[in-house]
Amino acid sequence: MSKQVEETQAYKDKQNLQWVGKPVKRIDGSEKVTGEQKYKTDYNYPNMVWGKVLRAKYPFAKIKSIDTTKAEAHPDVVCVLTHKDIPGFNGFGIVTPDQPVLCENVVRCTGDAVALVGAETLEAAESALELIEVDYEVLDPVTDAEKAMVQGAPKLHPDGNIHSHVSIRNGDIDKGFEEADYIFENTFYSPRQMHAFIETEGGWGMLKPDGSLMIQCPAQYGHRDKLQIARALALNPERIHVYSSPNGGGFGGKDEITVQIHLALLAHNISGRPVKIHLSREESVLAGIKRHPFKVTVKTGATKDGSLVANKVCAIADTGAYASLGGAVTALAIEHASGPYKIPNVDMEGFCVYTNNGIAGAFRGFGVNQVCTGIETHIDMLAEKTGLDPVEIRKKNAYRQGDVSSLGHVVKSSVGTIETLEKAEQCDLWKNRDLYKSQVSEPWKKRGVAIATSFHGVGMGLGSPDYGAATMELLEDGRFKVGVAIEEIGTGNGTVYAQVAAECLKCSLDHIIVVQGDTTKTLDSGTISASRSTYTGGRAIATAAPNMINLLSETAAEILDVPKSEIELANNKLMVAGDESQFVTYKQICEILLDKRKSTRVEGHFYLPKEKEELRNSGGAPHHLYGYMTHVVMVEVDTLTGQTDVLKVVAIPDAGKVLNPQGLEGQSEGGAVMGIGYTLYEDVLIEDGMHKTKNFTDYIIPTIRETPEIVTIPVESNEETGPFGAKGIAEVVMIPIIPAIMAAIHDATGARINRLPATPERIYHAMQATKKPSLISR
Amino acid sequence: MKVSEIEMISPQTVEECLYHLGEKDKTSRFIAGGTDAVVRMKDGAWLPDTWINIKQLDSLRYIKEEENGIHIGPLTTHTDIVHSGLLQKKADVLTAASKEVGAVQLQNMGTIGGNIATASPAGDTIPTLFVLDAQIELTSLMEKRIVPINEFFVGPGRTVQAQEEMITNIIIRPQTENEIGIFEKLGPRKAQSISIVNVAISLKMGEKSRECLGGKIAFGSVAPTIVRSEKCERMLTINPLHDEAIQDIAGAAWKEVMPISDVRASAKYRRSMASALLERGLYRLMKRWDER
Ligand SMILES: Cc1cc2nc3c(=O)[nH]c(=O)nc-3n(C[C@H](O)[C@H](O)[C@H](O)COP(=O)(O)OP(=O)(O)OC[C@H]3O[C@@H](n4cnc5c(N)ncnc54)[C@H](O)[C@@H]3O)c2cc1C
Repeated sequence: MSKQVEETQAYKDKQNLQWVGKPVKRIDGSEKVTGEQKYKTDYNYPNMVWGKVLRAKYPFAKIKSIDTTKAEAHPDVVCVLTHKDIPGFNGFGIVTPDQPVLCENVVRCTGDAVALVGAETLEAAESALELIEVDYEVLDPVTDAEKAMVQGAPKLHPDGNIHSHVSIRNGDIDKGFEEADYIFENTFYSPRQMHAFIETEGGWGMLKPDGSLMIQCPAQYGHRDKLQIARALALNPERIHVYSSPNGGGFGGKDEITVQIHLALLAHNISGRPVKIHLSREESVLAGIKRHPFKVTVKTGATKDGSLVANKVCAIADTGAYASLGGAVTALAIEHASGPYKIPNVDMEGFCVYTNNGIAGAFRGFGVNQVCTGIETHIDMLAEKTGLDPVEIRKKNAYRQGDVSSLGHVVKSSVGTIETLEKAEQCDLWKNRDLYKSQVSEPWKKRGVAIATSFHGVGMGLGSPDYGAATMELLEDGRFKVGVAIEEIGTGNGTVYAQVAAECLKCSLDHIIVVQGDTTKTLDSGTISASRSTYTGGRAIATAAPNMINLLSETAAEILDVPKSEIELANNKLMVAGDESQFVTYKQICEILLDKRKSTRVEGHFYLPKEKEELRNSGGAPHHLYGYMTHVVMVEVDTLTGQTDVLKVVAIPDAGKVLNPQGLEGQSEGGAVMGIGYTLYEDVLIEDGMHKTKNFTDYIIPTIRETPEIVTIPVESNEETGPFGAKGIAEVVMIPIIPAIMAAIHDATGARINRLPATPERIYHAMQATKKPSLISR
Repeated sequence: MKVSEIEMISPQTVEECLYHLGEKDKTSRFIAGGTDAVVRMKDGAWLPDTWINIKQLDSLRYIKEEENGIHIGPLTTHTDIVHSGLLQKKADVLTAASKEVGAVQLQNMGTIGGNIATASPAGDTIPTLFVLDAQIELTSLMEKRIVPINEFFVGPGRTVQAQEEMITNIIIRPQTENEIGIFEKLGPRKAQSISIVNVAISLKMGEKSRECLGGKIAFGSVAPTIVRSEKCERMLTINPLHDEAIQDIAGAAWKEVMPISDVRASAKYRRSMASALLERGLYRLMKRWDER
């Protein structure tokens, strides 16, 4: 058998699975639950220096001079650094490195870093910041993305304020609208959501005696961080080691550089002492990456029979002061802006625009959250107008595997939309919605039930490299060390890696040790983002496994003195086929290999399948693979106050084969709650470039009391290319719930809220606008 | 003053506390549960020379009925209040408010004395103290004085309590047999939220169906200090509190308040919500009264 064929069979074998698809406990579960797990920022070291960042005083200003003399004179200060101390390139950014490590001439948002202080104590570092004198020439901030696009607006960057412009056109949009019996047009505004991870940005760094640099910090792509650090410090990336797992939450907010380069700079100026930076929550609110607020204008045309015939979208994304992943976010938004449907005529464009409003970047959902509301709301309006069933309209317009999507490409990978919609129709909440709606808890409350569906690309899309790699090492005690660089950010991907490895190697789960996020021990395997880590990491392991089996079988054949073809893989051992008395354990094999000075380590590499051709000007569309999802929700609105509770959620993801049901539920429930937060509560308010929201006091995330009953019903559309048929769902789980809640509020009250979050005040005023004040006992 | 330079002392008696409080050359401040104090210390707003830690002063942690009312020690936690049978029976409006403070963790640490002394316009127990005619006992080395609650607060974060004084007792009027109370809060979410508007209502009911003999209504978070809504209170006794009467009374509330706009809500919405919460509260109270 050729290696390729063996490998293909290993990850496709869905018979007699021992670990895959089973609700195995998380390998890091108990330490997480007990709080014993230490994150990188939990560590303190003897002789440690505290690092602090001086942030810009104004959202937009020229720097005339920076004087650090007084700060340097502080008795407890070890060093004060400015742009002058950067040996390499003073900039970073995943795609466009337009964000200064330390600002030189101009500051573009209040999160900007102007200087660094290293001091003996945190308190000394903080007081030294106040001693740094920066002379600014204050400029008028650019605070509205649309106005920023206009000619004559002050330019934040040399090339102007439009960072990127993408568009996708298919069919004939004018003809489409001519054919339409109904046309709906609305504008939707989305919030500046914050990742609100439990572990704020931070970490520590140290220059080792051998001159290599060690950075330990929560991050979402250690191997890329190495390159960004190297560029700024003018170092050889091979001399930088990043330890980036586990994270106390990521959600995209640690995809970009957070503190790594600052740590590296400080580490180079403190004679080998360790240095720690840990952002306070307030600083994280100010300087951390946020979700892009979008203004999306959507015009949808449909015929009487419920066919969607045209969709026109214009989205404007406020990326704040720097690009980070703004261009990619905007591109993904446009790729998804017509939903998982086959609308023959579309015209969609997106602009990613610089302003002085903080910095936006990657966040779970990556632009799709912002655009899914338009098409889904319009489908509900169409249902209302025509009397057609909203689920039927969606089923009628949804593409199936092999169909041509709205983008005009043939979708070759698995598509579960229709199955998720069917499951939704059959679920208790939808079937009995009239009964549920009648059971209001108090007479002035109103309930609504609604459904929405959406999708989300898995992996990077065209134009960005997208690969996975795994190492597998047989250890002296007969266990395997499986290395995948992709970090643990809370999702439980390590457990899935252990399951896939144990399944492929036919050993018990506790014989697998998973190593993640350590650039010294793992191969570059891409980011923990884009819903890709189960799919990519799983496939990389499934690719490495046959190499390990080959190594084991060869050695076993030698020991047992039989041809390799007679060796069979059994539980935790290899035996001669048909003769259980003749076997060797993995431990024995390791001994022999070590005796012979042979390597006990193998690798597996995997390149994600891609489409052949990129749609012109689309910025990376289409993806080869998408996860699909339908949500059904019930809300209850207090018509006296506008307070709204989500009471029930049915989450129906098309995850491909579910590798770990508990992991899926964890993602599904976490995603639903994050979607509830996005829709009803969360927004970082910035006025004139200054943060109004400063802390968790005013940034409202759902608590357990806002968490409804969530039922997850997976649809397992088999994805041929995935490990054991799996694909990714980590982002789509928070998407359709957004328009579903908006529609449920409308179902309950008749009010449509197009500006999120739908706070009690906004809902109250929208209700006031639709009718007379609601009063008791009507 | 830096946080690391602040001294903390933990006196064992009230006298000792008062002695330290009287020290002229040093600024000092009490720390009870610390749920306001620590937040403000980190913000740099409260940085005294000395924290006088009083959390362990169990002599100031009590709930007992005396001749002149129910006495509540300032170190009584919100959880103590929620679990007190006496208060559930005779001051249900206060137990209801303590239940709405933050969340359980906060209620375990936070004290009623701290809630009063912080004097936030959004403090949740404060409106209930207005409808229960609370009296605040202030003690200094030299004297003890009793201040009625409506004279205690002078503005956001400001009270008549002098630097050398300590709150040593809170005396409230026990509700009688036919008195019922409710606390309504509107926050941006259900737990851990600062009130956008809150209202405490206490009613004395008569023999006839929904006959109200009198009552007190106090709004929080709608003005620099608590607003007693005298106009609405007068309307309580005009008609039995059926739905229409409730709507009329609630409809008058928005004129009684003077809220501001901030990040949490606009003044306009706060005004409407004063009416909405009163309406909801009276409705719920009457339902409970009918079902008693
Ligand atoms: C997350 C969070 C949520 C919160 N939610 C709410 C809420 O929903 N509703 C609400 O009303 N509050 C809320 N608070 C505020 C706070 O918890 C309450 O005000 C609490 O009752 C304060 O009590 P404490 O014992 O912690 O006061 P401390 O912080 O210890 O002290 C507060 C102030 O009172 C003074 N003080 C304390 N005891 C005395 C005394 N005996 N005599 C004189 N002065 C004294 C102190 O010197 C200090 O100035 C919240 C706070 C946090 C951190």
